[in-house]
Amino acid sequence: MRNTKGRNAFIFAFLSPAVLIYAVFLVWPLLQSFQMSMYRWRGVSRNRKFIGAENFNNLFQDPVFWKSLQNTGTLLVVAGIATIALGVLLAHLTDGDGAVRKFARAIYLFPQVISLVAVALIWQFQLNPKYGLVTDMLFRIGLPVRDPGIVRDPRYAFSAIAVAFVWHALGFFVLLFSAGLKQISGEIKEASALDGSEGWHRFRHVTWPLLWSVKRTAITYLLIHILTVFALVFVMTEGGPDRGTETIVSYLYEQIAKNGQYGYASALAVVVFGVSMVASLAVLAYFRKDPTAGARA
Amino acid sequence: MKHWDLAEEDQLVDLGPALDGKAAEGDGTWRESFDPQILALGQLKGVQYTLPYYVMIYGWWYDPEVFKKNGWTVPKTYSELLTLSDKIKKKGMAPITFQGKYPYYMIDGMLLPWVQSIGGIDAVNAAQNLEEGAWNSPAMLQATERIVELKQKGFFQEGATSMSHTEAQQEFVQGKAAMVPCGSWLFSEMKKTMPATAKMEYFLPPFIDGGKGDPTAVLIGIEPWMVPTEAKNKEAAIELFKYMTSLSVAKKFVQEKGTLMAIKGSDDGELPDVLKVPSKTLRESKAVYSVQFRHWYPTLSTELENGLTSLLNGQISAKEFCDRAEAAADKVRKDPNITKHKV
Repeated sequence: MRNTKGRNAFIFAFLSPAVLIYAVFLVWPLLQSFQMSMYRWRGVSRNRKFIGAENFNNLFQDPVFWKSLQNTGTLLVVAGIATIALGVLLAHLTDGDGAVRKFARAIYLFPQVISLVAVALIWQFQLNPKYGLVTDMLFRIGLPVRDPGIVRDPRYAFSAIAVAFVWHALGFFVLLFSAGLKQISGEIKEASALDGSEGWHRFRHVTWPLLWSVKRTAITYLLIHILTVFALVFVMTEGGPDRGTETIVSYLYEQIAKNGQYGYASALAVVVFGVSMVASLAVLAYFRKDPTAGARA
Repeated sequence: MKHWDLAEEDQLVDLGPALDGKAAEGDGTWRESFDPQILALGQLKGVQYTLPYYVMIYGWWYDPEVFKKNGWTVPKTYSELLTLSDKIKKKGMAPITFQGKYPYYMIDGMLLPWVQSIGGIDAVNAAQNLEEGAWNSPAMLQATERIVELKQKGFFQEGATSMSHTEAQQEFVQGKAAMVPCGSWLFSEMKKTMPATAKMEYFLPPFIDGGKGDPTAVLIGIEPWMVPTEAKNKEAAIELFKYMTSLSVAKKFVQEKGTLMAIKGSDDGELPDVLKVPSKTLRESKAVYSVQFRHWYPTLSTELENGLTSLLNGQISAKEFCDRAEAAADKVRKDPNITKHKV
């Protein structure tokens, strides 16, 4: 009994700093956002007015909100699928312990370790209509990318954001899937080879199902990362042209920085929280039971 | 800083009484140090919440050496601009570049000056005051049509729509474009990346031929200074600002920083080359006007900027642009939670 008490005190002592920091810097602001979403508040004084659900009513009638939600969803599908597909492909190509493969994995990881703002600036430079390398390459293959320029062209701006996101995020997913591939038992690989399963057939029926837990992590991470994407959009396109790349978080920022509507911005934050929560729970529910458990090394 | 929100919520000190006190230098009041038209830009319902420090004047810029070498003259009117742009284009140079990533540069450098040209300052202020039909008035439509005309004639630099302010301005200082609309901060912003041989000179946006506006009118802006009501030492803040706006300090600031100030007489004496024409233009102007709606009604401003990008991309017509602007103004007009202002 005394031992249990001592053990609990020990656990409490070690957990409490982290829990305290989490509570003060994450849980409390989150609760404050919920509270603030029911006020009209310009954020410049203590003067605020309780308006109940008015911010949410206005939000659901705001066409820009729906447009930004739609853009975020499209980015999630397009950039999400591209990141996972390329992540799996490159993990396969760099699977193994050779020096060249390790070097290639490190190269892919490089964009992940630089800040998103720097990534956005690099891409802004590459997409400059006059001297951008990417613009020049695309122009040379016949695409009309020089006027109005990729980041202001409704035909290309969204793709530019998606490509920049994938370029930034890919390295992490290559590592993730590489680790997943390593978890697959050598015996399974041998057995499937003996059964004549090679190449695409083996990937589809053996490797891909066995990456179950990695897929769960990858999709949850992508969800949170894309739903909150801001710096890329803000630096590269500012949500333009004409809201063409506006995402839910860039619109939230506009409500604070340009419009001084802290209550409305908080309502948007609550919606982002709700969408992230529901989507993450759906992913966890779908992946909850791993049908391949025990099949890995 | 959303200074009007601060003023409306009593977060700023009324500086009127301090202005009626003695100036830091000379015998007059502090109020008498300022140009009254510029001072008025810091008032809300007659109360002086902010004070102007330096003054920005908006217009267009060209390189006098390049113009001289090619025998080009500065276009005073829109028709002269068309003729000149044709010549420049034939030389293989872009006639005009602009900061397309931030469309408010074009609103301040072309749209509103041309609305002023056509309909006078009243037409601009009617729009700022949210008068019904002012954002899709004939003056607004005709001014917008001039932008479309320049675009369709190929007088804007290729790709300018997606350039940031520094990217477009760099194109100008490197001689790839002959003219750029910008405020009087252009030199200080570009001096570090400007080729040694490049020069820049200010001129007023070309006046629309036959317009009923004032060809000497100048669009100006201020950088507001304010004292918070909850500041611990308000008196010292005011004294510091009095010192900073005293004539001798203001003159030194103008010469060292290359920026005009709201203080009367601060541009007397030898000025940096780049300030000579802006200073002369401001002194000779019969009227000044200022863009205030951007701070008052940010949602309207954003809608204008988005609409302008679509206009330049050929996705909407000049009339559709004006109708979008009017619809955005109407939304603000009808929103009881937005405080309405008057110029």
